[in-house]
Amino acid sequence: MPDPGERLVNLALFLAKTPRFVSAEELRSEGLGYPEDQDEAAFLRMFERDKEALRAAGIAIEVDEDECYRLDRAGTFATEVMLSAEETATIRTAVAALATDESFPFAEDLTIALAKLGQGAPAPVSVATTLVDEDPRAQGASAALTAEAIASRKFVAFDYTNAKGESRMHEVAPYGIFFREGRWYLVGLDTSIGEIRVYALKRATNMRVNATAPKTPDFERPDWFAVAEYSLLPFQYGPTPFEAVVRFSAEDAWRAARLSGGNGTIAEQPDGCALWRIEVGDPRGLASWCVEHGPGVVPLEPQTVVDIFRVGLTEVLARHDR
Amino acid sequence: MTARKNTAMHTRRMLALLPYLKQGETLKLAELAAAVGAPEAEVAADLTALSYCGVPPFTPDEMIDLAIDGDTVTVYSAPPALDRPVRLAPREARALVAALQAAGHGSDDPLVTRLLAAASAEIDPAELAATLRAGDASAPVVGIYAMLAEAIESGSKIRIGYFSAGSGTHSDRVICPYALANERGAWYVKALCESAGDVRTFRLDRIREAEPTGERFERSQSVSASVIPDGEGLPLAVLRLAPGARHTEERDWPGAAFNLKQNGAVFAEVPYSSATWVARRVAAGLGMIDAIETPEVRAAVREVAQRALAELEG
Repeated sequence: MPDPGERLVNLALFLAKTPRFVSAEELRSEGLGYPEDQDEAAFLRMFERDKEALRAAGIAIEVDEDECYRLDRAGTFATEVMLSAEETATIRTAVAALATDESFPFAEDLTIALAKLGQGAPAPVSVATTLVDEDPRAQGASAALTAEAIASRKFVAFDYTNAKGESRMHEVAPYGIFFREGRWYLVGLDTSIGEIRVYALKRATNMRVNATAPKTPDFERPDWFAVAEYSLLPFQYGPTPFEAVVRFSAEDAWRAARLSGGNGTIAEQPDGCALWRIEVGDPRGLASWCVEHGPGVVPLEPQTVVDIFRVGLTEVLARHDR
Repeated sequence: MTARKNTAMHTRRMLALLPYLKQGETLKLAELAAAVGAPEAEVAADLTALSYCGVPPFTPDEMIDLAIDGDTVTVYSAPPALDRPVRLAPREARALVAALQAAGHGSDDPLVTRLLAAASAEIDPAELAATLRAGDASAPVVGIYAMLAEAIESGSKIRIGYFSAGSGTHSDRVICPYALANERGAWYVKALCESAGDVRTFRLDRIREAEPTGERFERSQSVSASVIPDGEGLPLAVLRLAPGARHTEERDWPGAAFNLKQNGAVFAEVPYSSATWVARRVAAGLGMIDAIETPEVRAAVREVAQRALAELEG
């Protein structure tokens, strides 16, 4: 039997070379690599898989009312993209480096994407990425599985150990995935509690996707869902959210946009300062964050956070008096 | 990897290789391998398989005719079809978007939109934006990243305004950028700093502005893209972290040695090159982290706390 890859390439070349619609039977008889002694049912199963494989490779196939097939040229061929020197450099460096980062869950697909874009040549500059520093391969693999389940809308199940060290199995309808500060997170509806939760994939093991009826979705994601709303700064998680205001000094006002991660709103003031309004769930976490990202960053509102900031730093001074 | 997944990848790579096979050209295997991100041996196997491919009647002029000779491949007859790039499959578009997000481009960034429009018919950008966030979109950093990436390729000097988290100060410097690195989602550039006369690491989101000086530089030394400092020979700060304190994970203190005590407190020996960096994190503990050693770090903790309190009152 010929290499399945050869059969698929032959099929793609034939469809690309033939402008008319062609029946499955004709394709079978063209010597593209389908076994001659194969029965009809086995051939049709193989042909279905081949069409899926070509579509997964970016080859668009049209079907007419007689179940005949033709290459969809407009859907298959990419149009040329004109890139500036900086855009080319961006793609060649960042993207090429991520293609070899085992914690980047889309590395394999990225290499093919780069090849198709003609940007797959090695980056001529030194560039390295370590997105994930803890179990990078395991987190990358879990994130890849999760991303597939999100796309196919299949349930995932995994064993999860929370921050208190408690472990149990969860079944989740995965809605989205995000990356923050070296960790991948899954956002989804936990089927046992009926609530949307955020799970650090670092804490998830034995991740598996529901394999029953793989082409039939298990759930529908709500239209309103946006993963960005769950990708919050650490102090934004908490039981009773409230609004806080943080002041960046005039010299540090430009840092507000960099540090906000796109969360909250930033308003420049006439004196050059910037006021950042942000929803907060952990007042102590925000006070701590302000110290860590100082100088020039202090909480203004609410008074609770200001007090925690003041009392905490006074305690720090007392403990380091000599 | 399963046999079926192997076959799928083999096929996708073979199809991706087709536009590179121009009649009469001799190509280096290493360059083709780099182009599709696979080892040379696997690409040689892909090319060998392609040499058996074609269209009916499979006469020599309807076959892909190529020969691999050592580290090169010569194309005698180009593919009879599919000789220009095909669009990205949805999963490939998703990978590209995720990679660009990791480089700071949001889902609605013009570069992402343009690439998707030209290269992918089936992807729904809104669906991707709703379900995937592989990095923080931060437009100013995207511009700085692109400038530095290009400057590294072209050997251009860049003037930057920089905020040093170590000292808490702002300064202007001219740098010769050597390498880019991403550590836990944050981008850094390693560069020769002309002010310091030595190679330094700069975090991109702390660069206020950047512009080329118009001058060129010759790269005189090889620089690792790693941004984790070598702790050897550095002084050690000794910290006591109370149970429940922030920053109690080893990843929060690069190079540190941790020692758990019976009362739940953790003692950490942290190598440091900047006492202020350690001090700021200790102060951020708001009384739950103590710097026991060194006197330099303890003094820096006092200074950080006093300044923060003064800013609050001021």
